[in-house]
Amino acid sequence: MGTSIFGIGVSALNAAQFGISTTEHNIANANTPGFSRQRIIQSSNIPQFTGAGYVGQGVNVTSIRRMYSEFLGTQLLQEQAQLNHLDTYYNEIQPINNLLADVNAGLAPAVQGFFSGVNTVATTPQSQAARQSMLSTAQTLTARFQSLGQRVAEMQSGINSQVVTSVGTINAYATQIAAINDNIVIAEASGNGMAANDLLDQRDQLVTQLNQEIRTTVVKQQDGSYNVFIGNGQSLVVGGRAYALQATPSQLDPSRIEVSYNSNGQTVRFPQNALQGGKLGGLMTFRSQTLDVTQNSLGRIAIGMASSFNAQHQLGLDANGNLGGNFFNVPGPAVIAATTNTGTGNVAASISSVSGLTTSDYQLIANGGASYTLVRLSDNAVTNFPAGLPQTVDGVTFSLSGGVPNAGDIFTIRPTASAATNISVAISDPNQIAAASPVRAAAALANTGSGAIGSATVNPTPVTPNPAHPATDLNLQQPVTITFNNPPTTFNVTGVGVPAPGTNIPFTAGAPISYNGWTVKITGSPAAGDVFSVGPNTNSSADGTNGLALANLQTMRLLANGTASYEGAYAQLVGDIGNKTRELRVTSQAQTALVNTTTQQQQAVSGVNLDEEAANLMRYQRAYQAAGQAIKVANSMFDTLLSLR
Amino acid sequence: MRISTNTIFDGNVNLLNQQQMRLFQTQQQIATGRRVVTPADDPVAAARAIEVGQSDAMNTQFQSNQTSVTSSLEVVDGTLSNVTNLLTSIRTLATTAGNMVLSNAERQAIASDLRGQLQELIGQANSTDGAGTYLFSGFQGTTKPFVETATGVQYMGDDGQRMAQVSPSRQLATTDPGSDIFMRVKNGNGTFVVSPAVANTGSGVSGTGQVLNPALLTGAAYQVNFSVVAGVTTYTVMNNTAVPPVQVLPTPPATGAPYVSGQAITFDGLQFDIRGTPANGDTFTVAPSTNQSVFQTVSNLINALSAPVTPGIPSTSANISQNVSNAIAGLDGALNNVLTIRASVGARMNEVDALKSMSDSLSTQYKQHLSQLQDLDYNKALSDLAQQQLSLQAAQKSFVQVNNLSLFNYM
Repeated sequence: MGTSIFGIGVSALNAAQFGISTTEHNIANANTPGFSRQRIIQSSNIPQFTGAGYVGQGVNVTSIRRMYSEFLGTQLLQEQAQLNHLDTYYNEIQPINNLLADVNAGLAPAVQGFFSGVNTVATTPQSQAARQSMLSTAQTLTARFQSLGQRVAEMQSGINSQVVTSVGTINAYATQIAAINDNIVIAEASGNGMAANDLLDQRDQLVTQLNQEIRTTVVKQQDGSYNVFIGNGQSLVVGGRAYALQATPSQLDPSRIEVSYNSNGQTVRFPQNALQGGKLGGLMTFRSQTLDVTQNSLGRIAIGMASSFNAQHQLGLDANGNLGGNFFNVPGPAVIAATTNTGTGNVAASISSVSGLTTSDYQLIANGGASYTLVRLSDNAVTNFPAGLPQTVDGVTFSLSGGVPNAGDIFTIRPTASAATNISVAISDPNQIAAASPVRAAAALANTGSGAIGSATVNPTPVTPNPAHPATDLNLQQPVTITFNNPPTTFNVTGVGVPAPGTNIPFTAGAPISYNGWTVKITGSPAAGDVFSVGPNTNSSADGTNGLALANLQTMRLLANGTASYEGAYAQLVGDIGNKTRELRVTSQAQTALVNTTTQQQQAVSGVNLDEEAANLMRYQRAYQAAGQAIKVANSMFDTLLSLR
Repeated sequence: MRISTNTIFDGNVNLLNQQQMRLFQTQQQIATGRRVVTPADDPVAAARAIEVGQSDAMNTQFQSNQTSVTSSLEVVDGTLSNVTNLLTSIRTLATTAGNMVLSNAERQAIASDLRGQLQELIGQANSTDGAGTYLFSGFQGTTKPFVETATGVQYMGDDGQRMAQVSPSRQLATTDPGSDIFMRVKNGNGTFVVSPAVANTGSGVSGTGQVLNPALLTGAAYQVNFSVVAGVTTYTVMNNTAVPPVQVLPTPPATGAPYVSGQAITFDGLQFDIRGTPANGDTFTVAPSTNQSVFQTVSNLINALSAPVTPGIPSTSANISQNVSNAIAGLDGALNNVLTIRASVGARMNEVDALKSMSDSLSTQYKQHLSQLQDLDYNKALSDLAQQQLSLQAAQKSFVQVNNLSLFNYM
């Protein structure tokens, strides 16, 4: 019984010591990320039965408890992953936002400047200075397209390298978590089930950091280890084993890095939207929803402008007397065969109609034989071609250019992606600008009637395409004569290329008369014998008719099924990016507020409050002092006993 | 309810960050003068601003086109004014030359004066715009439109009209082709022309004539045949276009209408007179007007005035009278033509002026609209700036003060 006095005192001292050291531990780790404060749990010892009743035997510390709420922890993980997703997306979209809208570096001022040059040539086509200036503005325009396209391409490769880095980080964390899992299992097994508090904190901190890279789901096992899952349930860490992710060039398009994992020796690619949340999720979503669309949109404007300008330019005559050629060079659609293709087939794609182009990429899958399936990647719309190629969808014509594909071969087609980076001006001599019309109409000076013939316009589609210049008619510039009969209600037409017989054609004033790919209108009242002719527009340095038609292209709605002009399509792109950026700004701010609130709650449970610890220090100090006093009293009692003779 | 020390610090740091962010954005707005610094600030306004910017730039382009068109039209008008003056002075000379009292030498002097004026007229017709492009050559800006050849002045240009876009829906011609101005002048009175046959020996001179009743015109070619029998001069008018030719005057079965010098001859809606003394067998043709260039008209007059008048041969002086009369008619026709074209040029200049003032007011509107969309309200921004500065200062001060509170200070 006497020893129990000492024993109880010593147990009190021990308890106080544990208390102080735990409090010191809390204070020391107040700023350690992921640290959860610890508290000692004391309970009284088993009382001893004596004749006078049960006598208490002091205190012992049963465990040191880590103050951690699993519920709050999980909630915080989810919200944090979403926040990182939004933040990363927002950070990536901002440079595009700023780039597109820049007053000086954006596309709009370059397009204005170019059409200003076209207008000047249309008004004064004989001026060499005006022609040279138009070429310069064209160079500026293509340079601007190229620089925007280049910038977007740089962002693509930036995303690629960020994906590689992120995957590396994820793998590193996964390995560390697996190692800690092992440590925790051993520690808790050898510790009689006592929680290895600090190890648990470290593991949770690793999971938090991993979660910032990609959203993770954690399932706690019986033996205390964590199983970590990502994506749609793909396991990353199971017990002490970590499975590595891979960042490899996509099999469908080697210029893109995709994330894949290894399953029984097979490399399985994560499907498009499986990776959500965290920085990696943000990068993937940004790439597929914004970056690719921006690249394709810019390309669509480039192709649209170049194709329609070229088409009109070819209907004109340049200052050297030649029919107009291509004004811009613009590449056609890019076709990429998947690296897993086994057949020998090659697919070719060309633009058939600029107005039908979308901003999506396509996949053409060979089903064997003549059957193909086309998938539009923006909305996964599927079109089946059981009867084979060539087929035209959305303004693009798909055809087989050689060889035979095997069933399952996939071809990725990107119609507009590389147009902005590769657009260039095709002519360098100002005299090659086709501002004049190739044909002109004239009334003979001897005519006595009041008939007047307006200017001759070139039809957009020729009757007989000229093999050397398919945009115009073979006989476009052949002289054609229109002679009025007596009475002048009919006329005869003669000339090369005019279908026979060209006699006694009824005349209506103002009605279009069309031969050899041109159209004229005769108004007024021609007299019998009046002669009108249409012939080549030689030496026509002062004619700006085609220039006026070219300048008019600026306001015509040629893109997006006839709903948008060039600048309209660009304004749409800017608006879309602006809207998305704004949306991301607002949602990420809201998400930040949410994360802050949850963090506060979590900190309320697990965080260290230095004032509280200071108070605890004093408490345990007092307890220690009191216990020491008790031992001193017991000691002096013993002394009293010993001093008895 | 607990709060951890970290929460206090982190929370305050976050709030400070937010305040600094807001302050920074306001600073950016003030520095750029724009409310919409990036499209994300106001996506709808940003997209609209691009569209308005495009309209504004196009309007500016049209304004520049309009200036170009105005200056071109002014040059054309100036040249045509010179041409009008020249034609008027040539007409005066022609009237003087018609005076039968003049001697051959005097007529020769007038003819050489006319030669000089003809050259000047050709020079005006070949005007350039100051940059070397011919005004009146149609589409062929580097081709000289009017060239003297052995057969007279030929037009080497074409009928093309040079156009410019002066507004989104309007194209205006900046010049007119020389063929319309100088070559397509109807001779005679514009509808028909009466000409003596070259072989006439009498002194009959035909007047220009006029159209009495357009509804009765047939457009046929007629011939007036004179016969002098026993001192009595009669004439018939035959419609030579009909097959066989039909006698129009006098109405059959009469064989000859009595001729009185200066008396009107009227048929089929036409009326003209013949003065003088036609000889037997003299004929005059009445044909629908054809185009005769003004140069041809003046050349004809010069040639006629250069031929000497032999007092004994009445046809020589009749020749002079006839040619002077024809020349005056031709010059009148040419003057009308030029004036018509000048009127059209003037109308175009008026239209461009009207379009210019519309473009000016549109330009102001667009710029105002752009400003509304994009520009900063400085009053609001500066007061926001002051307010945000104050908030930030308050937050910073309170942070430092609260920071000092700790139980450890008292232990």
